[in-house]
Amino acid sequence: MRLLPRSLTGRLLAISMLTTIAALAFAAFSIGHVLERFVIRGMDQQLDAQVAMLSRAVRGDGTLDRGRIVNLPVFEQTGEGWSWSVESPRGRWTNGNAVTSEHPLRRGPGPLDHHDPDPAGALPGEGVSDTGEPVHTRELVVPTSAGDAIVVAGGPRRLATAPLREAMLPLLASLGILGLGLALATVVQLRFGLRPLRTLQAALADIRAGRTRHVPGDQPDELAPLAAELNALVDQNAAQLEHARRHVANLAHGLKTPLAALSLKLEESGRDPEGGLRAMVADIDGRVRHHLGRARASAPGSRHQTRTELARAVSDLTAVMKGIHADRAIHVAIEITPHLAVAADPQDIDEMLGNLLDNAWRHTCSSVTIAAAPSGSTVELVIEDDGPGLSEQAILEALVPGRRLDERGDGHGFGLPIAQELAELNGGSLVLGTSRSGGGLRAVLVLPAATPPL
Amino acid sequence: MRILLVEDDAMLAEGIARALRAESFVVDVAANGEDGGHLGSTELYDAAVLDLGLPRKDGVTVLREWRAEGRDLPVLILTARDGWSEKVAGFKAGADDYLTKPFRVEEVIMRLRALVRRAAGHAGALITCGRLAFDAQLGTFEMDGLPLKLTAFEWRVLSALMLRKEVVVDRGELIERVYERDADVDSNSIEVIIGRLRKKIGAEMIETVRGRGYRVTAGPA
Repeated sequence: MRLLPRSLTGRLLAISMLTTIAALAFAAFSIGHVLERFVIRGMDQQLDAQVAMLSRAVRGDGTLDRGRIVNLPVFEQTGEGWSWSVESPRGRWTNGNAVTSEHPLRRGPGPLDHHDPDPAGALPGEGVSDTGEPVHTRELVVPTSAGDAIVVAGGPRRLATAPLREAMLPLLASLGILGLGLALATVVQLRFGLRPLRTLQAALADIRAGRTRHVPGDQPDELAPLAAELNALVDQNAAQLEHARRHVANLAHGLKTPLAALSLKLEESGRDPEGGLRAMVADIDGRVRHHLGRARASAPGSRHQTRTELARAVSDLTAVMKGIHADRAIHVAIEITPHLAVAADPQDIDEMLGNLLDNAWRHTCSSVTIAAAPSGSTVELVIEDDGPGLSEQAILEALVPGRRLDERGDGHGFGLPIAQELAELNGGSLVLGTSRSGGGLRAVLVLPAATPPL
Repeated sequence: MRILLVEDDAMLAEGIARALRAESFVVDVAANGEDGGHLGSTELYDAAVLDLGLPRKDGVTVLREWRAEGRDLPVLILTARDGWSEKVAGFKAGADDYLTKPFRVEEVIMRLRALVRRAAGHAGALITCGRLAFDAQLGTFEMDGLPLKLTAFEWRVLSALMLRKEVVVDRGELIERVYERDADVDSNSIEVIIGRLRKKIGAEMIETVRGRGYRVTAGPA
């Protein structure tokens, strides 16, 4: 069983509530105690006066001199619960109701209960009258020649408890209100005090959504080290991806340069008359490209963490296409919703679009159209050309890695399957079909939309 | 056509240079980014073939520096980096074309010829001047529709003149475009080549402009 609540607010609230309740209970108890003492002291003064007068009436031989008895006014009213008694070996004299002491009287020094003994020597005590009413008593031991005479005067307890009850009710009520006020203040304080945590959480969500790169540094003192650690972690992640990609670039360089040299040697006349060796080099190249392309892809599962604006990526890549295919006057029509962004890594987007656009440029006769628009929680990007297009059978084959449908130029058969694989890694899809307007290839790339910027 | 080849793999550089020379290109080879950058900044080239993964200075940096200096020679990037993001970065740095390894050497030659031709302001492959026709894409000359046989030196001089037909080409510049950097150049050799060309295509086609250079012309303008 867990005693501590899971939430910090719950914990802080529980601790604060317990402390407040304990403090209020202690306050109620001690205020009640003081009040009681105050009320009882008034009664004690009357009882002690009576006890003193009675003790003076006790003769040296242990008998009571009735003539010397003076009763305070309250002791004259019988039935109100005020009473006294004098008891010695020589006899017992009483006035009012008989009182049975609940506790055996202590003769020794020291207080009978928590009340301090009176300086005159009277000791406090509690008892019950013969009518069953609780009685507060004071008693004094008067030594006589016959033995100790015990003088007891008692007053009804209710005279003390009634005003106490009257005072305690508003006191407890105001303490309760005070407790509620404190609880409310604690809740407000927690909401205000824990707000930086919620702000930090929002900042982290922004990083995941690609809206910002770092957690803001101006955090409260307690959160500043956490923010610094988070930023370091973000940087470390980025550095690791960068490192992995640099490694891929080095790997590409290391693998392809000798491959290029080998291919160059084979091109020299007579070395490879049937072209079989060159085909093998092309195959090796294709496999290297395929695996490097996959290695370059951002780690799967990292989607929804970045945003890439499509218009910029498309404009960068069409500039590349115009350079690579400079001799072909291709008309390009681009229609992209402004600020449209997808939740995918920019390099992955470059790879997908680069391969699709390159394919379109390679096969088109005169024009390529690129259109992108939001479609629910996804973005649909359509690339169409007016080239010969592909048959259904050819479309199936085009998405098989290594199947090269295009034997012209330096085209390699891995572009479309890589684009498809990256689309799926990023939670999207690639569908090939026939363009309705141009009759060429129509490639539809669907990718999850990025959350809008702040 | 004088080409700067910046490639750190010696075997590959040697192979490309040999293939380019066989097509009458003048080729200077640099094996690292620093040397290549320096050559491109100080010498006159019709185009450069630039690797990206170069020792001492990265190819993209070399290219950026050339562009910052105002060097506008066409640059073909020839690299193992085949990511599209890398291609975007290459073009943004100022590349004119991009080819990934492994490649077919004919592809390099075709692209270089296209770059040089476009840089000279010719949209189409065929450049004609009177009876003389130059296919800048295939690198062939025809005279009255018949193939013209030329030596490597003759081809270099005539292609340089044809790319800028009707314009006077400086003699010193012509020499730079015909000989490799460390070649021993005889001061009269250009005149000898011009003389041989005049015999093949007709003296009136190549005009000597005293104190300046030569121009190929279809006749008095």
